[in-house]
Amino acid sequence: MTRADLLAIVLAVALLPYLYFTYWGDGARGEQARILVGGKPFAVISLAHDQRLSVPGTLGESTLEIHDGKIRFADSPCRGKQCVHSGWLELSGEFTACLPNRISVQVLGREPRFDSINF
Amino acid sequence: MLLATFLWSCGKPSEPLYQEQLLALGALVDITIWGAEPGMAQAAGNALTEDFNRIHNTWHAWKPSALTRINEGLRNNGNVSVDAELLPLLRRAQELSLKSNNLFNPAVGKLIALWGFHSDEPKGPPPDAQAVARLVARHPTMADLRIDGATLRSANPALQLDFGAIGQGYAVDVAVEHLRALGIHNAIVNASGDIRVIGKRGERPWRIGIRDPRGQGIIASIEMQGDESIVTSGTYERYFEYHGQRYHHILDPRSGYPARGAISVTVLHGDAVTADAASTALLVAGPKDWIHVARSMGVKQAMLIDTAGVVHIDPLLAKRIHFEAKSPPKVELSEPL
Repeated sequence: MTRADLLAIVLAVALLPYLYFTYWGDGARGEQARILVGGKPFAVISLAHDQRLSVPGTLGESTLEIHDGKIRFADSPCRGKQCVHSGWLELSGEFTACLPNRISVQVLGREPRFDSINF
Repeated sequence: MLLATFLWSCGKPSEPLYQEQLLALGALVDITIWGAEPGMAQAAGNALTEDFNRIHNTWHAWKPSALTRINEGLRNNGNVSVDAELLPLLRRAQELSLKSNNLFNPAVGKLIALWGFHSDEPKGPPPDAQAVARLVARHPTMADLRIDGATLRSANPALQLDFGAIGQGYAVDVAVEHLRALGIHNAIVNASGDIRVIGKRGERPWRIGIRDPRGQGIIASIEMQGDESIVTSGTYERYFEYHGQRYHHILDPRSGYPARGAISVTVLHGDAVTADAASTALLVAGPKDWIHVARSMGVKQAMLIDTAGVVHIDPLLAKRIHFEAKSPPKVELSEPL
């Protein structure tokens, strides 16, 4: 065995954790959320850290809450509050919107298990 | 060399996947396109936004639209001239309504309005029982709508049209046809959960997750076969609560009250309009009668989840579906459809 082969094996072993999380991890759970305002990109945020976020829309500010890898509309200045009632999103591909306030949220994952979600 | 081979085998070429969310009027539309040029995909996104906006403005049940003008004319017992582009959906709705034995009944717009569902924010209270009974007794159906060329008239003064149960499915079908006309043959159109797919995602089929109607997460997944729609109607989608009781928006035209027995129905079918109408009709039919209604509507694959959480599913769909929930539901296989 040459030194180059040894180096290759060491690097291959070092790559295992990356491969595990990429190919055997829970691909259904999202890692980030993409937020659009009026159909235009506003932010892509990680779901790893709990936080509340104000997003300015057409009617006013909507509040998004991130908790335990999930995201939801905590509050919005719309009348119907359907966005708030739609609850938490956590699966890659899930999406919701406050249509009156023109804000939409979609959960993104590295290797989504589903191409789209029926509900 | 070994390392180079190893890394090469792990690397993935960038995928020709285009995904966009369209904030159309009345619907959030998620489109996924495989294998098209970015410019073409972008143009398709813009075209679909226009389609969805146009359909929303045409068929809206309570904001000024072509449909509210039709309803006004029918209310006054007059002849109503309509644009030729409205006729296909009107005829389709008539046909589907008849096949569903009027369990899918877009002629009960008055009943839907009486319940307060002609509002962005349905609040209740539930309507007076006598008012509901009076409307049910007048029994408006799509057979009462007479279509003569491009002129409509109603044989029943209680008839008011509401296409809430198929408008979204119709828009999805229009969008898919538009994508095809633009030369796009591998795509998913998802309008607020109602899905139609065409083609594949490269070498593999498109995979769809079905959200669990009992709470969070995915109850099941399915690999789609070419051109196919999957639509779910659920009692959790629109509702109001009054004095601790929940009243959902899928009304049983026979009783005039929210349908009982099922919490969701998922239908797979070639086109989204049929899947949309059938998912409503089967939910109204409930766990005892859904099979008969599915058969008469030509539906071959469907799944009903009853209020106890039991999954009723036909053998064909049962073969294709994969239950994903950590605690698998109780499943009862129905007769073939």
